[in-house]
Amino acid sequence: MSAGLLVDGLVVRSVTRAVVEEVSLQARPGDVIALVGPSGAGKTTIVRAVLGALPPGLRRTAGTVSWAGAAVPPGTAARHWRRCTVGVLGQDPAAALHPLLDVRATVAEGLEPARLGRPAAQARIRAALASTGLDPDVVLHRRPHQLSGGQAQRVALARAVVADPPLLLLDEPTSALDAATLEIVYGMLARRRGDGRSVTLVVSHDADLVARLADAVVPIGAPPPPRTSQPPRRPRPAGGTAVLRTQGMRLAQPAGATVLLDGAELAVHEGELVAVLGPSGAGKTTLLRAIAGLHPPEAGRLSLRGAPLPWPVTERGTAERRAVQLVGQHPGAAFNPAHRVGTALRRPLRLLRGITGAAASAETARLLALVGLDPALHRARPGALSGGQLQRVALARALAAAPGVLLADEVTAALDAATAAAILDLLDELRRRGLAVFAVTHDRHVAARADHVLHLADRELLPDRAEEDTRAHR
Amino acid sequence: MRIVASLTVAAALGAAALFGEVLAPYDPTATVSPPWTPPGPGLALGADGLGRDVVSRVLAGGRELTLVAAVAALTATAVGVAGGLWAGWRGRGGRALLGGADLLLALPMLLIAMVLAVALPGPVAVVAGTVCGGAPLTLRVIADATRQVRHTGYVEAAVARGERSGTVLVREVLPALAGVVGADVGLRCVLALQLAAALSLLGFGPAPPTPDWAAMLRENLPGVTLNPAALVAPAAALAALTLLVAALGHAAATRGRSR
Repeated sequence: MSAGLLVDGLVVRSVTRAVVEEVSLQARPGDVIALVGPSGAGKTTIVRAVLGALPPGLRRTAGTVSWAGAAVPPGTAARHWRRCTVGVLGQDPAAALHPLLDVRATVAEGLEPARLGRPAAQARIRAALASTGLDPDVVLHRRPHQLSGGQAQRVALARAVVADPPLLLLDEPTSALDAATLEIVYGMLARRRGDGRSVTLVVSHDADLVARLADAVVPIGAPPPPRTSQPPRRPRPAGGTAVLRTQGMRLAQPAGATVLLDGAELAVHEGELVAVLGPSGAGKTTLLRAIAGLHPPEAGRLSLRGAPLPWPVTERGTAERRAVQLVGQHPGAAFNPAHRVGTALRRPLRLLRGITGAAASAETARLLALVGLDPALHRARPGALSGGQLQRVALARALAAAPGVLLADEVTAALDAATAAAILDLLDELRRRGLAVFAVTHDRHVAARADHVLHLADRELLPDRAEEDTRAHR
Repeated sequence: MRIVASLTVAAALGAAALFGEVLAPYDPTATVSPPWTPPGPGLALGADGLGRDVVSRVLAGGRELTLVAAVAALTATAVGVAGGLWAGWRGRGGRALLGGADLLLALPMLLIAMVLAVALPGPVAVVAGTVCGGAPLTLRVIADATRQVRHTGYVEAAVARGERSGTVLVREVLPALAGVVGADVGLRCVLALQLAAALSLLGFGPAPPTPDWAAMLRENLPGVTLNPAALVAPAAALAALTLLVAALGHAAATRGRSR
């Protein structure tokens, strides 16, 4: 029998349909295997099936998973195997970190401290954090709510690799990382690759990661339709009053404590895409949340089409709330698990635009189709959707308000390249009709389409040098 | 399939507790044989101290207990959930309410119930006692759960589209906590059953000769050597009802979680 991981004819069914059909893959020791495919194709489900830990409602009905020649039983029987052999990074790191444990305790979950001494365990934890590009001295005693999305993802990654597990399962390990951190994480995966011992299974929409690190690529689901993409056309240059303008904005996180950003001047005009880049933890998400009225700033003024806009969302009028819409960073937590997708979309239609009844149903279907989803999904509950599908529903919910400015936090992070491009095309199309987009991103495809690229670092929001230079040479 | 089977069993047991009287072979208050007749043909569980059929009395003796417990549990949970949502949502503003709940918890529940039973009619005392002893627990749990849900994306989205606080609590927070609330109703119902049985055992329950499981325990204790079935049967019925309620609460909690 071969060593490594062997998956043969895996079928996972829910009560009504097959979620994963006949997937086979083989990984020899030292291999990095990439699972790629459109969002909703069942990639995350495959990872969980390999683990033998499927969520309630899904069952492995056929196929075998074997490790080092021995079959892995499904369910709790494989618990010891999982504990000793596997490191896992889930798709939504913010949800995977225990809110009451600090970073040190979180990473220690991946170790068996009884076997190591306390000092040895400490050293391993610090090394694992450092290998993901985090400074152990800074983050070691922080709790999850004090971490940014990218930091949380790297803490979860450190927990997965701290015990140097023979089998590593990574579900979108780089979705929230900026370019500099990406290189560090790539380096870490490259060291595992070819060490003749460990197997890495990675689900990723990051074409770069797949191209550079994967020994084999396993496509899941139907290949995406060939893109009928136009070259990124610049919408007409903007003029006149800015849709959104901030003056002298000072932000702290948590409110009243560490200052993240001081004296930020920002203007977004009609039809413009303004992108903000910056290292993870610099305050990009806080900036968006402040503009959306969900995080009180320390100082500064905000105006919408020249008229002053109050900071707290509760003090804004209906028209103002409708004009500024936020698509958050964590699609997993953005939807009430008890409500169907249709309900989540109809509510803003009713409240912000006064659309009800049959008109609302038609508009819901149109919005879902607009973001490239099957309109029949309006009957699904969020728990049944993949991360990428939820992200698109979140965009549809923001668009339901027909906003003047869209605040987008990593809007393409959980999407495969084809879907991400389709979403960016959609935003271009909407921008031609006057929508202004203010996007926080680490995705250079988003930045490439932007009219202005800003860089947020060291408390300052400045035009991005590198991006401006490439523009000048084009 | 398993869900259907479990629900059928639960429905059958619940119906037996509420409407068992129609199946009773005799009038539960009529003397049909000599006192303490042991089980035999025609009298499956024998007779009690006044010669009344134990089967008939067990079948008829659960209705008031079940109804009172259900009303008490729903009232206590409703009060606790409403207070908990408000206290959790208001944060600092809800502290006074949480303090009041803690004060109520600090008083021994049986003492409160006894005082209430002296002052009020039996069923009302059970409801009031369950609210005093159970609602503060519910309030604490729901307030904490509400605080956690308050900063999720969907609650923020609801606030951002201008929903009123009450609407956010009822439309967004409450459905997300449905599993917790379901489990809580189960727990409060068990508490109410125990309280109703205890008060009834102490003589604050329905007046004789009305059949009542808890009162039967007291009535039939003197004849336990002559007809043990007269004591065991109502005790078993009480235990079965409590287990049923606890199991339903557990089912509600797991369903709420898996969604």
